[in-house]
Amino acid sequence: MKVAVVGKGGSGKTTTSAILARTMGRQGRAVVALDCDSNPNLGISLGVGDTETERLDAMRQALAEGEEEHAPGWAELMDRFGSDAPDNVRLAVVSRIENPEPGCP
Amino acid sequence: MRIAFVGKGGAGKSVIAGTFARLLARRGEPVLVVDSDPLPGLTYSLGVESTDAGIPDEAVVENTEKGAPRYVLRPDLTAADAVEQYAVHGPDGVRVLQFGKIRDSGRGLMRSQFAFRQITAELPDDKWNIVGDLPGGTRQPFMGWGRYARTVLIVVEPMAKSVLSAKRLSRLQLIDDPPRVVAVVSKVREDGDVELVQERTGLEVVGAVPYDEALLEADRRGRPLIEEGPDSPAVKAIELLVDRVRAEEARA
Repeated sequence: MKVAVVGKGGSGKTTTSAILARTMGRQGRAVVALDCDSNPNLGISLGVGDTETERLDAMRQALAEGEEEHAPGWAELMDRFGSDAPDNVRLAVVSRIENPEPGCP
Repeated sequence: MRIAFVGKGGAGKSVIAGTFARLLARRGEPVLVVDSDPLPGLTYSLGVESTDAGIPDEAVVENTEKGAPRYVLRPDLTAADAVEQYAVHGPDGVRVLQFGKIRDSGRGLMRSQFAFRQITAELPDDKWNIVGDLPGGTRQPFMGWGRYARTVLIVVEPMAKSVLSAKRLSRLQLIDDPPRVVAVVSKVREDGDVELVQERTGLEVVGAVPYDEALLEADRRGRPLIEEGPDSPAVKAIELLVDRVRAEEARA
């Protein structure tokens, strides 16, 4: 199953995603929770806390900056960049905008 | 004054920005609202007909110089002219500059976006008070879309995700020639909410807008808060915010 949750800011996307992921995890499925927001907060709603939510490397940037010629496969991506959340959920962040552009455009 | 509201999605940026702009205009100030959200939202809070009017294609010319922006305003059109011609008229005399809204017809907004960035960068200080409303999250603020602002107001709910987003946005203080970055606490429900935001973001709090049924009702009906609940606690709090920001920008 692959589900994407979308909607206006503040309408409850992240909370809905986290509950979906953990509920499916509790039913015994292996679940990947992908945070595709450039301001990624899904870790908070999944229950991994502020520090871990901030620590997670964004896959897109990490791969873009790396030396590898080909992107690794799905399993390796989850292994390298994911973080364990409760109820058998593996959380990964796709891209993050870490800092403001320094000067004038 | 030149200010911009940023924050997590749903924190209350548009309601606060729209109400702020109209209150400022009612004091006789010329107010230009700068709306860089490709989705409507601010238009409801301002009471402007939701329009997808952007800056028309004929306002820009293609630029072939290397390293320069791809589209620039026509040479005979200054930023001030462009505002006069293309900013929509709203209630209380506010004007609203948008680069257009995404519609399913999918007309490209690229020319209009370039023009919008140039206008906000070049508009002289002497005429307009600028009140900007950016989309939720860090993307636009970190890409320089609010650089016209001398004061950036981060709208924060006393909630974990909103506070974390505000902490990230507070890095706007690290750019060259940084704006003043402060917090407005939104949906305040209990004692300690303001202190919680202050402690956890490290930002100075310049306003506290209470959780208010009038605001929810205005949102449900898609109507401006300032018309639905003119005497509501939220509007009163935004009036105090206008006073404070005005005084502080005048001093700066």
